Amino acid sequence: MNWDRFASLDRRYIFLLMALVIIIPILVPMNITMGTMRVTQDLFDTVDAIDRTKQALMISSDYTPQTEAENHPMIIALLRHAFARRIPVLINALYVEGAPLLDQALKQVTAEFNARATSHADSIIYGRDAVYLGWQPPPIVPILSMGQSIRGIYPVDYYGTRTDSLALTQWTHNYDQVGIVVAITSGTSPLWYVMYAQPKYGVKVGGGCTAVNAPDFYPYCETGQLSGIMAGMKGAAEYEALVAEKFDLEDRRKATEAMASQSAAHVLMMVLIVIGNIAFFATRGRKS
Amino acid sequence: MREKLPLALLIIMGLFGLAYRFMPHPGAEAFNSYLRDTLLRIISAFALILGLGNLLLRHAHRIQKREQDWVHSWVLILGFGLTAIIGLLGGVAGEGSLPTKVGNFSFNITDIYNGLLIPLGASMFSLLAFYMASAAYRSFRAKTWLAAALLLSAFIVMLGQVPLGYQISPAIPQVTQWIMEVPNTAAKRGIELGITLGVLATFLKILAGIERSWLGSGR
Amino acid sequence: MTRTAVVLCLGLLGLLIAGASPGGALMPPAGVIARDTPGDGGGSITVRWQPVVDAASYRIEAAADTAAFAAVGEVGADATEFEHEGVRDGEAHRFRVVAIDAAGNEAVSVPSAPVASRPQWFAIDLIGVAIAIIGLVAVVLWYIRRARRGEHLFIRRIAGLEAVDEAVGRATEMGRPVLYIPGTGYMSDIGTVASMNLLGEIAKKTAEYNTPIVVPVRDPVVYTVAREVVKGAYIAAGRPDAYDTGSVYFVVEQALAYAAAVSGTMVREKPATNFLMGPFHAESLILAETGAATGAIQIAGTDMVTQLPFFVVACDYTLMGEELYAASAYLAREPLMLGALKGQDMGKLVFMVILVLGTILSLLTGRDFTKILSTTGY
Repeated sequence: MNWDRFASLDRRYIFLLMALVIIIPILVPMNITMGTMRVTQDLFDTVDAIDRTKQALMISSDYTPQTEAENHPMIIALLRHAFARRIPVLINALYVEGAPLLDQALKQVTAEFNARATSHADSIIYGRDAVYLGWQPPPIVPILSMGQSIRGIYPVDYYGTRTDSLALTQWTHNYDQVGIVVAITSGTSPLWYVMYAQPKYGVKVGGGCTAVNAPDFYPYCETGQLSGIMAGMKGAAEYEALVAEKFDLEDRRKATEAMASQSAAHVLMMVLIVIGNIAFFATRGRKS
Repeated sequence: MREKLPLALLIIMGLFGLAYRFMPHPGAEAFNSYLRDTLLRIISAFALILGLGNLLLRHAHRIQKREQDWVHSWVLILGFGLTAIIGLLGGVAGEGSLPTKVGNFSFNITDIYNGLLIPLGASMFSLLAFYMASAAYRSFRAKTWLAAALLLSAFIVMLGQVPLGYQISPAIPQVTQWIMEVPNTAAKRGIELGITLGVLATFLKILAGIERSWLGSGR
Repeated sequence: MTRTAVVLCLGLLGLLIAGASPGGALMPPAGVIARDTPGDGGGSITVRWQPVVDAASYRIEAAADTAAFAAVGEVGADATEFEHEGVRDGEAHRFRVVAIDAAGNEAVSVPSAPVASRPQWFAIDLIGVAIAIIGLVAVVLWYIRRARRGEHLFIRRIAGLEAVDEAVGRATEMGRPVLYIPGTGYMSDIGTVASMNLLGEIAKKTAEYNTPIVVPVRDPVVYTVAREVVKGAYIAAGRPDAYDTGSVYFVVEQALAYAAAVSGTMVREKPATNFLMGPFHAESLILAETGAATGAIQIAGTDMVTQLPFFVVACDYTLMGEELYAASAYLAREPLMLGALKGQDMGKLVFMVILVLGTILSLLTGRDFTKILSTTGY
């Protein structure tokens, strides 16, 4: 075999192979079974344990459209979990770029649940069950200020409605009424909450992050500073599965659908590394 | 004066920033809030104006000099201008004074965001998968025993991070979790400790005026 | 006589039963002390008491001035302390603790002396952290003093920084520019500050060698600083005429759009040398791989741990973590900067010793020594 060709393989062949292994599993759906990582289970359990009569779930987001594929399913899964358990939800955006995505997520999951609702009490009502607080720059401002007063830093919500007129924000004054803040990020915003809000106000913090940033958060899960994380798209898929299994939901699970492609891509990467090493050692032996 | 005033400001603000962490008094919090909520926002706003001005001037210069690919500079300037006008006058969802719909074709800011920004951003991020594959093929070499051990753990983690690993063996995700929680955490903590001390030392160097490059003094 | 004997016996039996029942009457909590919670921003009073046998829970009651006592909290049998928050500073409160047993019997303590909450200027819980910082500052200042006295301070070789001269020289020989990417962070990131310091040193070299330098910037504030840094470097090198005002420019704030623009610059202008120094995020591999594809020599440095593997794979040299902060001192070789670098290293050695000793002590004694340097004092 001519290993020289492999040693100097044009990268476009690699790009083509990668494209094929990602596209084919999307076109040909495959059944994938997966386990649940402990960090995802911990986050699920913490959210599930919120006393909905006394506390709300806060979803804080600083992800951008670039990481929508990984992060957006996390918010969808969290909202489904909260709405299925009737846990009130407060949402805020730390960066303006991701703000419309949160609006889309809230509207999508609200529509899913209201399509199944049989009464007004069953329905998800904006203002009572969920409030989208909007965006306030810079990020450190709302993180610290919400410890004193959520309405103080968000006098109006994302849609321009006064927060003192909304039922949910009338009793969620500050972090004392927040069961956990789950920060969905393409950066490190869960750590901002851990560094600034948690020491001062004692609020629990969880995270949802891209796979490449997940190693940053594992040490904090070990110390208990983070109650759990969804690590990458697989973490989102695991959370989707946990929610669907517990509440018997049949809504579309985008992260789960992508798992076959992700598996194939990882396998291709390993095969390429092996081939690259074989080619390297084969040609090196000949050259020396 | 050109150097003394920024240095004096730096020393005062730097020392306050350090001391604030140890001061729970509401007075300190109030001053910090003022710095954070007011001054920082003003500085960011003016810096944005400066940056945008530079961006537009640079591309106007490229067009004027007919530099390589100058047509793309027109695309940037026109896109910048159109988006700004549509955003300012057309409203977020087309409720503004400028009409943002022609027949069934809508082009308000929300449509630009959903139709352009999201797909473009996602496409750029998706390049990472391809670049990672080509970088892995080109550079991941088991030249030493340590490198081979690293590759082996990389394979285990790659398998553990996808459902395929669980299907091959439930032990793979558990080993992956152990690698992430123990060796990865240990290495990360070591690097973070060094970084944190480096941050403190850099802060001290700047505070003491030893590092002055940021002043533009050339020293 | 018989009836009297029966009554006496019954009475004795009753006494025996009462004496034999476990615990007897529930005792009220003793030693109730209330004081202003130390090291906080006010609005909080801490109440302590001694535990009571047979108590199943405690109810804490507070009264302001002459007002009646009202319940403010309830804790379990194991608790001997309660922090009452939300009090107005300067307003005196008295506290009493009510022990409650499993049968619901209550025993009320003697009220505490009146106490008012006040905000403190120093968080006493963080004293360990404050001492550690003062210690590190002292070590750094000591080494700076040694450097000022002219002592030679050994700094180990850092391959990436040794290659800077060669890299800039390569660009000069090939007649192609040097591309400097100062990271995609903000000016508040120390990595960006370190990058600006390094940019100054590299701009001086490009000024001396008359090599063009291109600095695309992602953040407007960083752009203003980078512009001043490069200009100052050219002035310091005695080449103000060679400074090109268009060499430093703002691109765009979105990280991946920035990566796309800079990748385009790499492909079009084909710089001979790429410096990628500062905080990076997901775009790091796009930049590094594109640079590798153009054949440039690449020296990278970042304090973002998760991006280090990408740079190690795609670049010729990588500065890891604190090596980035050391870069400007390493290149400038100024005694004061080297002294600070040495002090930082010594500080790290001290912390390592504390960590090892603390771990050994924790294992031997079973007590947790990590709280000494805890920052969760609030």
